[in-house]
Amino acid sequence: MSEYEQKIDKIIRDQSLYQCLECGKCSASCPRQLAGKEYSPRLLAHKIIAEREDEAFIENSIWECLTCGQCGERCPSGVDFSHLILEMRTLLAGTKGLKGYRSHDGALHSWMRLMTSPNLQQERLGWIDTRVRVAAYGKLAFFTGCAPYFDVFFSGIRVDTLSIVRDSVRLLNFMGIVPALLANERCCGHDLLWTGDRENFETLCRLNYHEFKAAGVEEVVVSCPECFYMLSEYMPQVVPEFDIKVTLLIELLEREMKKGGMAFRPLKRKVTFQDPCRLGRICGRYDTPRSLLSLIPEMGFREMENSGRSAVCCGNSGFINCDAYSKRIQVQRLHEAKATAADLLVTACPKCMIHLTCTMRDPIKHGSLAMEIRDLASVLADQIEWAAK
Amino acid sequence: MKPVNLLGICCNWSPYACYNAAGMARLKMPPNFRLVRVMCIGRINQALILRAFEYGADGVILLECKDEDCRYGPGPEVGHVNVQRVRKLLRLLGIGQQRLIERHFASHEKEELVRALWKFDELITALGPNPAKPRQEQEVS
Ligand code: SF4
Ligand code: SF4
Repeated sequence: MSEYEQKIDKIIRDQSLYQCLECGKCSASCPRQLAGKEYSPRLLAHKIIAEREDEAFIENSIWECLTCGQCGERCPSGVDFSHLILEMRTLLAGTKGLKGYRSHDGALHSWMRLMTSPNLQQERLGWIDTRVRVAAYGKLAFFTGCAPYFDVFFSGIRVDTLSIVRDSVRLLNFMGIVPALLANERCCGHDLLWTGDRENFETLCRLNYHEFKAAGVEEVVVSCPECFYMLSEYMPQVVPEFDIKVTLLIELLEREMKKGGMAFRPLKRKVTFQDPCRLGRICGRYDTPRSLLSLIPEMGFREMENSGRSAVCCGNSGFINCDAYSKRIQVQRLHEAKATAADLLVTACPKCMIHLTCTMRDPIKHGSLAMEIRDLASVLADQIEWAAK
Repeated sequence: MKPVNLLGICCNWSPYACYNAAGMARLKMPPNFRLVRVMCIGRINQALILRAFEYGADGVILLECKDEDCRYGPGPEVGHVNVQRVRKLLRLLGIGQQRLIERHFASHEKEELVRALWKFDELITALGPNPAKPRQEQEVS
């Protein structure tokens, strides 16, 4: 058995693919297949196990998956498809080069790779104004991620992901915390990792760790679920001496709320929630967003037809594979959101916001899919207040 | 000192006619300047410009037709929007927005084009090398 074959064997053993029963539950729940794409996780499982000579099929399928994890929820054998895909992409990228149809011609991956340069002096903090109180260094930092970059790149669809960062810092300020914001923080590397570029991902991890240490950071608070997952799960694998506490903003807030003293002002809106796949299925945080939202008085909350563990992906991950099928997934998702009669769609990931906003702005749909979309942190920051004694 | 890497992205129509005519007239051009000819500047997107910097360009100049001269319609306007956005990204990255410029030419303006290239060379030489050469590229050079 060649070294390459052995590596595949290890991957499929680690992700328990040998337990596959070929039941087809994965294919039946895969949003990509349901949208009509010729792609079948069940068939891919079969080919990787038993027909490895069909390299073209395997390769194509590996780059098709959204890594949304929907199938993993249904699989009776506990096959973790998204991580299987991640490992296979890393392997294939090493032997056959990076593939996958890159959205926006790979512009986002380009700036993420540019950030691997060690001597950058970024100007990523120009958005800071009197609405927030921040520091340049300190024990607790807030991780801003790519938000300043997204807003420039996606200015054509008018997304405001910086509002998520600003409102997250406002929440921290409200809790009496003045976080450090690092001028030379890098992208967390999520998109590079999940599209097979492990080498540059690792460089970003090391550079970020270096920035944290140089600023005296002991704890990083994160709002974006992708950054949270990378910092808390993957950075320690890349940086063995990693000794920084990684905290998810909404969990910190939930803990602080329980201590009493803080409450939310009423909000007379009908709201529904889009579970980001990295927050829900991958990090298992389904309850925190819901319990925080439930604390807002007078707010009507309704779940979409598919929510929580079976929430449907926002259509895209890692900025590859955006195509007509992604669009169809997004259109259907927005129809589900509209069907709840909500007038505010809350999500908790800047990428969900970007992808769903893009679909709402589709000129062919003449605004029929438009609805207000906001991040959970923004909704909470606008409503938080001191509890009346 | 190592000369800076200059890249021109050039529309096939007016600017390329200038470039061609300048070559025929043996006008001297910056030796470290490389040119990529495209059918229209409207064909270039933000990714392609960023990629030039990722692959080691120290400065990029978009050579366009005048707005009203575009053979296809909106080409130069697409160029303006892209340049505006990529300049903001370059600034965020700390690469510096001055490293990306656009100039437009009518088809007879060969002297203007050559002058613009020398000015571009001067500007980028003064700025020095692009600080954001990704790691692999740095190891190669
Ligand atoms: S759901 Fe699991 S067991 Fe069933 S075919 Fe898919 S991978 Fe195999
Ligand atoms: S992770 Fe999502 S896109 Fe990939 S096979 Fe599973 S359900 Fe389909």
